[in-house]
Amino acid sequence: MDVGPLNASSIHYYGRKGKDIIEDARTHIGKLINTNKNNIVFTSSATEAINLLFSNFETIVVSSIEHMAVLSSSRGDHIIPVNHDGIVDLNFLELYLEKLVKHNKNTLVSVMWVNNETGVIQPIEDVVKIAKKYECFVHCDAAQALGKIKVNLSEIELDFLTISGHKIGAPTGIGVLVYNDSVNLKPQILGGGQEKGMRAGTENILGIRGFGEAAKIMTNKLDNDSTQVKYLRDYLINKIKILTPETIIFGENANRVANTILMALPSVPGDLALMKLDLDYFSVSSGSACSSGKISKSHVVSAMGYEKLAYNSVRLSFPPNDIVLNSENLITIQELDRLAQCWSNL
Amino acid sequence: MININHVIKEMDLEGNPSNHRVVVAMSGGVDSSVTAALLVEAGYDVVGLTMQLYDYGKTLQKKGACCAGSDINDARLVSSKLGIPHYVLNYESLFQDQVMNDFADSYLRGETPIPCVRCNQTVKFTDMFDRAKKLGASALATGHYIRRKKRFGITSLYTGLDPIKDQSYFLFATTKKQLDFVRFPLGSLTKDETRSVAKRHELNVADKPDSQDICFVPEGKYADVVRKLRPGSVDKGYIIDVNGNVLGMHSGIIDFTIGQRKGIGIGGRKGVDDNDSILYVIALDTKKNNVIVGPREFLSCNKIKISDCNWIIDLPQESEFNVLVKLRNSSQPVIGKIKINFENNFAYLLFDQPQFGVSTGQAAVFYNIKESSHVLGGGWIAEAPNKLADNNLKNV
Repeated sequence: MDVGPLNASSIHYYGRKGKDIIEDARTHIGKLINTNKNNIVFTSSATEAINLLFSNFETIVVSSIEHMAVLSSSRGDHIIPVNHDGIVDLNFLELYLEKLVKHNKNTLVSVMWVNNETGVIQPIEDVVKIAKKYECFVHCDAAQALGKIKVNLSEIELDFLTISGHKIGAPTGIGVLVYNDSVNLKPQILGGGQEKGMRAGTENILGIRGFGEAAKIMTNKLDNDSTQVKYLRDYLINKIKILTPETIIFGENANRVANTILMALPSVPGDLALMKLDLDYFSVSSGSACSSGKISKSHVVSAMGYEKLAYNSVRLSFPPNDIVLNSENLITIQELDRLAQCWSNL
Repeated sequence: MININHVIKEMDLEGNPSNHRVVVAMSGGVDSSVTAALLVEAGYDVVGLTMQLYDYGKTLQKKGACCAGSDINDARLVSSKLGIPHYVLNYESLFQDQVMNDFADSYLRGETPIPCVRCNQTVKFTDMFDRAKKLGASALATGHYIRRKKRFGITSLYTGLDPIKDQSYFLFATTKKQLDFVRFPLGSLTKDETRSVAKRHELNVADKPDSQDICFVPEGKYADVVRKLRPGSVDKGYIIDVNGNVLGMHSGIIDFTIGQRKGIGIGGRKGVDDNDSILYVIALDTKKNNVIVGPREFLSCNKIKISDCNWIIDLPQESEFNVLVKLRNSSQPVIGKIKINFENNFAYLLFDQPQFGVSTGQAAVFYNIKESSHVLGGGWIAEAPNKLADNNLKNV
């Protein structure tokens, strides 16, 4: 990057450079998800993008397994359940919308593409079909999907999409809202009129550049190959099931992305599992933890009908496929064996 | 200067410290922070645990008490400074069930409870204890000012060496089995020494003020908490004198404690001489919802019944012996004769001198009459009949 004040709102040379960086990034991200770059707004996070969008709708219908960013900002008035495998109940959605839209025009339906805890892929195309039948707008939280499965907006009639930079290797602190420009969205953050007035505040130029570069790299990959990660994940699951057959793998029968496992032991609280694995040098996470570090129950596990296991779930995440392939000994079979052993010692 | 070898000796764990994982119960205060610091210095494999006991946002925000939100963050910062792993335990529902509900119900029964003892007894020395064992720890260390000593193969409990900081009153319920696993590295330290260790380690809590009151009670307004926990169960009633004359109204017996003098809401009475005009809370009649007030002499109590006794010593054969007993944390120990009922685990205590303002719900903690620092055990004051109970209460 050039050395100089890259404030994109400035008229001078470096200001113009800054503007170029932002527009380049917008182009790369537009290419990655196959959409018009002019419909992309940069925010500080996917959470902010969701809040910006949701503040424009009175009636928002969401699934019960959405990320807290969606659940909290949707106010939780209209919730669609999921089945035991963690897949949104389409029949319920249809019946619900049929009743709801009679009295509520301007309804937004929001369903995530991939669940962040289980990795279960949602039937987003069917969701769009149903929502459109009842003339609803549709938003998809694709934070977990981007980089793992194909996200092509020309093949799906979504009105809004939100994504997060750090999920594909950009720094944290950068998100995007892709919007349908036939809807006149009101901004939440007012000020200097950046991002076409939709999100004021001097642009996070480093984050935006990072997101753009990550998108460029992602676009140039031939496909979303995850063979190696999938191999390691299945190896670990298999090993765990041999040593600890009572382990429950959530969403096991559903179509899932390869990089996450959400699992539980009926007799071991999730926080104990986390502490013990951490002391054995495995960094795993729980369904949900608040900023104090206190672990609460997983609303996703609960929504899938495993109420008794909601405090027990533990999430394992793998790095991206190409990083696993290109970095020798990043994840070894020996370490996976040790992990399965530690799990069985819980 | 603290002698670290002394710390290791007091820890009473065989072999090299590095072979022992020690879990430290970290509240975010200076005492437990220094406990962790000393054990790190001594070379133990230290893990910090902090209990989240209630939602501090919902349970009224407050300063100066432990376990509020900023305290958890302090514990985390200290752990990070010391380079030890630190985890938060979500004990909100446990604490609600086992400590806060008990606290409210106790006040409604006309008692004066000590939730800190319940917390030590249940959440801290049961659940956290269990968690420490599951994490492979050899011991659970806390920042209490109390000493654990081994003599002739028997583990005993002694008061903190610094009499101002001694916390033995709050730990009488520690069982012998728990005493095998818990450690108190600050037992021989003064508060100044503790703070100097915190300063030496540049801990952010070095100058943090001590917590003064019950952690979930903001600004000492315990009655507000009871009203919030048990809405609708606090009723107005009469304030009457020992002869049954109505002197005024009260807005809930939970606002009163036996022996209370200030804030009763009744002024001095005309035609009564000065000594008799000072009124104390003598009794709380929960059945009729009356607060009974009278002159100090009516508080006089010669004998109490103590339930759920815990003995930290091997009990002597004889069931009667003299002890020193503390009836409140802030009071001086007094001499009494204990009569133990072994079968039902209660005891009677007969005082040498009558005691004034003994309240049910508080603890009676026993100390060795020959060695006053030696904690023998204790129990809960279940009955404390005063002069009023001896009087005929026909008029009331």
